[in-house]
Amino acid sequence: MPPAAGPEQAPAIQVVDLHKRFGSVNAVDGVDLSLPAGRIYGLLGPNGSGKTTLIRLLTGLARPTSGYAAVLGVRMPARTNLTKIGYMTQAEGLYAELSVWENLRFFASLSGATDRGQMTAALELVQLDTWARTPVHELSGGMRRRLSLACALAHRPPVLFLDEPTVGVDPALRRSFWEHLRGLASQGDTLLVASHVMDEAERCDELLFIRAGRVVASGDADALRQRAGTRDLEEAFLKFASEAGVGSAEEGPQ
Amino acid sequence: MSARRVASLTRRIIDQFRRDRRSLALLFVAPIFVLALLGWVLEGQASPEPRVLITDMSAPGSATVLRTLEQAVTAAGGTLLDGSYDEAAARQALADREADVAIVPNNVGGIELLIITPGLNPAADGGNVSALQQALLQVLRDQAPPQVAGLLPDVRHETLYGPDDADELDTLGPVFVGYFAYFFVFILTGISFLRERMGGTLERLMATPVTRGEIVLGYSIGFGIFATIQVALVMLFTVMRVDVPSIGPLPAFWIGLGVPVAGSPFLAYLIALLLGLGAVSLGIFLSTFARTELQILQFIPVVIIPQGLLGGIFWPVDSLPSLLEPIARVLPITYAVEGLREVFIAGAGIGSATVQLDLAVLVGIAALFVILAATTIRREIA
Repeated sequence: MPPAAGPEQAPAIQVVDLHKRFGSVNAVDGVDLSLPAGRIYGLLGPNGSGKTTLIRLLTGLARPTSGYAAVLGVRMPARTNLTKIGYMTQAEGLYAELSVWENLRFFASLSGATDRGQMTAALELVQLDTWARTPVHELSGGMRRRLSLACALAHRPPVLFLDEPTVGVDPALRRSFWEHLRGLASQGDTLLVASHVMDEAERCDELLFIRAGRVVASGDADALRQRAGTRDLEEAFLKFASEAGVGSAEEGPQ
Repeated sequence: MSARRVASLTRRIIDQFRRDRRSLALLFVAPIFVLALLGWVLEGQASPEPRVLITDMSAPGSATVLRTLEQAVTAAGGTLLDGSYDEAAARQALADREADVAIVPNNVGGIELLIITPGLNPAADGGNVSALQQALLQVLRDQAPPQVAGLLPDVRHETLYGPDDADELDTLGPVFVGYFAYFFVFILTGISFLRERMGGTLERLMATPVTRGEIVLGYSIGFGIFATIQVALVMLFTVMRVDVPSIGPLPAFWIGLGVPVAGSPFLAYLIALLLGLGAVSLGIFLSTFARTELQILQFIPVVIIPQGLLGGIFWPVDSLPSLLEPIARVLPITYAVEGLREVFIAGAGIGSATVQLDLAVLVGIAALFVILAATTIRREIA
């Protein structure tokens, strides 16, 4: 366990019996989490399993139907707490007419960051520093994803929520992405990464398998495989999902 | 050319439109709606009931002339104002909006008539004057022996404000200064904010500590700056007129409308700007009810055109059918139109009660739109 997360410290992310209902759909259906700081958590599950809704509850973009969700000890939704949270949305969420730098500066300033060096560092991290003046509509899909990540990082938030961050990012860059995420975690930051890609799961410190709004299993990749008695994570996921009574054979993550 | 491919394309378009119920409804319903509105406005024009005053006459035989004029006023559906007026008092009564028409008979024989109207709305004035003329003609025909029936008084029409030969341009020009700002700012804000909602940037904005009020204010100032520039340009074009002499084969032409401004251009500017600021929030608010940019454009026949028809730009609000008049009374454009005409044509200043009321209503409506806009921006979008 990294030194940043001593036992006396409140968990970076805490969730107690959290529910979010849309009409008759239970998008989040009784989730409990207690996640210490300084680690990378992988939120894994198929599309529509409740990953994005859980993140939106944690970032205060949605209000729970019932239950408790807190980030850094502050119950969400809490507007002022958002300076400590970075959120990379699944949608692109960039202004196409503005340049790379203008987008970054805009989102960073709304989150209270004005330090130019910090913004430059975020751009270097995603290897877009030489593209600073380029309008976003001229960027490739992968470059936009990288800029989107930089916008979530620019104010140096201690807690980061990344929703499908590596979609459309080529393998080489994906590797450097993860190296940087690892670097952030080793500095004490907490990262919750939603994905439906199992090979990314191996890079996380801890995995949360989510299915039909419920966390069906959690632990590190090896432990989960061992418990399920399977060789790969996908099979493990399906096994846990069916044990929890919410799985169906063809609906596992890829 | 493959018939099958053409058929596939045709079919796809039909399928797409069938799914987009709103576009479909608009395609069929909007023209009927706009035409119906236009029909009501044109057909249902309440017949003018002008308040008419006749100045005193002292010449011999004037009693007959006065009686004839009074009969004509009643026949034209007008209300004759009591009291004794000379020409100066008549002009004052027009300026105070106590009368709509003043008839100043020639003091010698009553064969020459001067009719004075305010000149704020040539369409209304023209209607009143021609109604009176027709009524007068009828009364004279009825009472006079046939041989004198042809002896009609010589009628001269004069306006209190603006040049006597004021045309539609002189009264429409001032109004369009405001209307354009309203229209374009609404469309631009609507589309910008729709993009914000659809493109995921609003989601990202809301994941920062920014407040709804800050968003609406930021939008208002940002678009307000562009509205300011636009209003300035339109106003300059409306007011100035540069005549370009013919150069070689090029005939002479002019640039600008050359509409005279009787009052303060800054006051007119303020009115147009307030209208534009209201449009920013209206655009944000209505963008909630659109999913595509096409659907924002669909607000034009629903929001913009009706305001153009009802706001007093072409037809005075007073003469609208009774069903539509209350609607016109809650539209911001109605107050901007009134205020702009008062300032441009009547030369009203900030001390004018009408202008003060117009400004107050515009501020109130803008504030209401700000609240509406802010309530539609919620952290919880889903």
